[in-house]
Amino acid sequence: MRRLLAALFLLVPFACRGGESAPQRRTLIDSRDTYDPRTLDPALATDVPSGRAVAYVFDGLTRFTPDARLEPALAERWDVSADGKVYTFHLRRGVRFHDGTPFAARHVVQSFHRVLDPATKSTGPWVLYPVAGARDFADRKATSIRGIEAPDDSTVRITLDQPLAIFLKLLAMPVASIVPDSVGPDFREHPVGTGPWRFVEWRHDDYLLFAKNAEYFDGAPKTDSLRARIIREPSTAVAEFEVGNVDLLYVPEAETRRWEQTDERSAMLSAAPALRLWYIGINTTRGPLKDVRVRQAINHAIDVGVILDRLVGGRGRHAAGVIPPILDGADTTRRPYAHDVDRARQLLTQAGFPNGIDIDLWHSDNESFSRVAQSIQSYLGEAGIRARLVQREAAAMRAAARNGETDMVLKDWYADYPDAENFLYPLLHTANRGIGGNVSFYSNPAFDRLVDSSRIELDSARRAELYRRADSIAFADAPMGFLFFYNELYAVQPWVRGFQVPVIFNGQRWVQAELR
Amino acid sequence: MFSFIARRLLLAIPTLFGVLVVVFLLLYIAPGDPVMEMVGERADAETIARLRAELRLDDPVPVQFAHYAGGVLTGDLGTSYITGRPITRDILERFPKTLQLATAAMLLAASLGITIGVLSARRPGSTFDRLAMAGAYLGISFPVYWVGLILILVFAVTLRWLPPSGFGRVEYLILPALALGTRSIAFLARMTRSAMLEVLGSDFVRTARAKGLRERVVLGRHALRNALIPIITVLGLDFGYYLTGSILTETIFSWPGIGRYVVNAIARRDLPAIQGSVLFLSVVFVLVNLATDLLYAKADPRVRYD
Repeated sequence: MRRLLAALFLLVPFACRGGESAPQRRTLIDSRDTYDPRTLDPALATDVPSGRAVAYVFDGLTRFTPDARLEPALAERWDVSADGKVYTFHLRRGVRFHDGTPFAARHVVQSFHRVLDPATKSTGPWVLYPVAGARDFADRKATSIRGIEAPDDSTVRITLDQPLAIFLKLLAMPVASIVPDSVGPDFREHPVGTGPWRFVEWRHDDYLLFAKNAEYFDGAPKTDSLRARIIREPSTAVAEFEVGNVDLLYVPEAETRRWEQTDERSAMLSAAPALRLWYIGINTTRGPLKDVRVRQAINHAIDVGVILDRLVGGRGRHAAGVIPPILDGADTTRRPYAHDVDRARQLLTQAGFPNGIDIDLWHSDNESFSRVAQSIQSYLGEAGIRARLVQREAAAMRAAARNGETDMVLKDWYADYPDAENFLYPLLHTANRGIGGNVSFYSNPAFDRLVDSSRIELDSARRAELYRRADSIAFADAPMGFLFFYNELYAVQPWVRGFQVPVIFNGQRWVQAELR
Repeated sequence: MFSFIARRLLLAIPTLFGVLVVVFLLLYIAPGDPVMEMVGERADAETIARLRAELRLDDPVPVQFAHYAGGVLTGDLGTSYITGRPITRDILERFPKTLQLATAAMLLAASLGITIGVLSARRPGSTFDRLAMAGAYLGISFPVYWVGLILILVFAVTLRWLPPSGFGRVEYLILPALALGTRSIAFLARMTRSAMLEVLGSDFVRTARAKGLRERVVLGRHALRNALIPIITVLGLDFGYYLTGSILTETIFSWPGIGRYVVNAIARRDLPAIQGSVLFLSVVFVLVNLATDLLYAKADPRVRYD
């Protein structure tokens, strides 16, 4: 039915398009949020819409650029001790919260205590666990976090339990944003931060409205206001874009070709490699899947190229490991598992299953995932792997996968921060089996050692090498069906200037964007 | 009359209690863990344990139920696990918007549907009748999802008469009300037509015509009035459904009503939000049914509730 509708949209004559002239409004309008943000309180923000909104209103000590580089934010610069454990942040002076309060070092100390305080019920305190004494405080075994201190108004010193290469990236996550002194119960609805946009209004399930913070320390946004509309249905978002009511559109997969193949539309397209991996979590502790040859057979059986081309609008790149090609540590010369049915059958026979195997493949009720799952099922079937599809609604599927009840589960992983560690560690490290994100229940001491060393390795070249080696081990062990790294595709109205498509979800704050 | 209302309301209490128990137990046995949904994709066991304790999810089920039911009795539907907002506030914010949409759809359905039905019944077999009934047939068959998208395509994207989606002034209401009401318009047209045909064949209509009444009076005052009972039934049922389940329409038109709220809550395993809204919507359904019954008495004096 979607197809039919897409075809109908195609019939709309281009003559009726809004033209290239800028609309009269002075408000940027985004259409990417598909559901109401959970909260505007950074301590509770775990979903993408919340994370984006938090990035508009707040700042952290560090932040990401649209192309996912790390840059200073509220911390102007920092020194790291030789052992990599002590970070001294020199804070920006003259910054004020939207309510006029001057920003000072105590706000950093308070904000981090707040995230770790169990009474806050924060869902992302793990971001700050590396700080010395953080867990004790979170468990109410200490009254303060011993690793955070503010020697003066513009300095914050943070001591870690052990060196952690990604620490500065963790500080750019929404949960580590800096909040003011008084945070009442209504803060989640009426946030006050130091960010480029002041919060104005939140109409639930409808839109969020922000006004520019004229005193933003990094230069005020170039447009008066920003509206983040919440549009559940992709076809509706497309219609809103067609009539010029929204400035930015996340192009639905089913419409990719239509947009790419017409000149007028393709001129508006902007692609970015997302830090997102589609994969099949293969539970390495269940039945025949314990055998690495069976898992390799699964990888050889699936024609990822065709799936990418036919079902995902060509938006992605066949994965040869778990590290997206744009991140340090990715081995772009490694060849993905080739589609080779004979090889798959041969591997199965060697593993002692000449007559094939019967397994379950779980997937969610999301339309894209369902289509891909059906296709995978038929590819596996050609190689003698009889997969039974188990469709569950996303929450139920996730629970089953984390409990180790799934043979194989089709899912994706979207990075929290742009670093290979964010793929290797949660998805495949022994410490994260089950609820931590490792639904393959993969456990390989050699892999773990490399990842552990990479986490404390402060030299970026050496760290990249450790990532590469760990990724290479995982690739050979095949604890997952390596599908593809996804590419985001956006359409930007011709009248929008200065907008760069973000690689990481909170990497674009619309400060440079303007309507012309 | 008042004793009838009081009796019906009293009878509703066990019904609603049943709803409360069933919803609570269903959610308890349904797969999916609310805390896992709270923490998102990346979680750690300590945080999960801490949150479970804070939310009292580790208490025995009867204790949890007693706690929840106690809150409901004092008018407190609890706080959302996911957003931390009071459920009552969430519902009060969204329900008026659903009510607005449902009312507009019903007004449209009642005016258009009944008019078409009466006009068709006046000359059965005429061109108008055939066209109207063919249209009604299509109207019943088309899924609301499809109708909604076509309306957006035609009136918003191509003709640019109305906004494609969103909530605001009356122009935002027209397309969603039309999409939601289409099925009712069609169904009412058919219903009215057949009810009218039956009545128009009866003796008192012939009498009315014989004494020289104008056709308009015959149709409006005598025939339609007697055909009202099935029409009210359809209106009441559809209104109840629209108030409690216009999820697809709200989704397509980005209408911030209660339907989307419930769907979101289910997807995120937000137990208090699901329980609260189901309970609230059950109350709405009971009230709409009661109102329908009262309307029967109004339409037909032979129906008495004393």
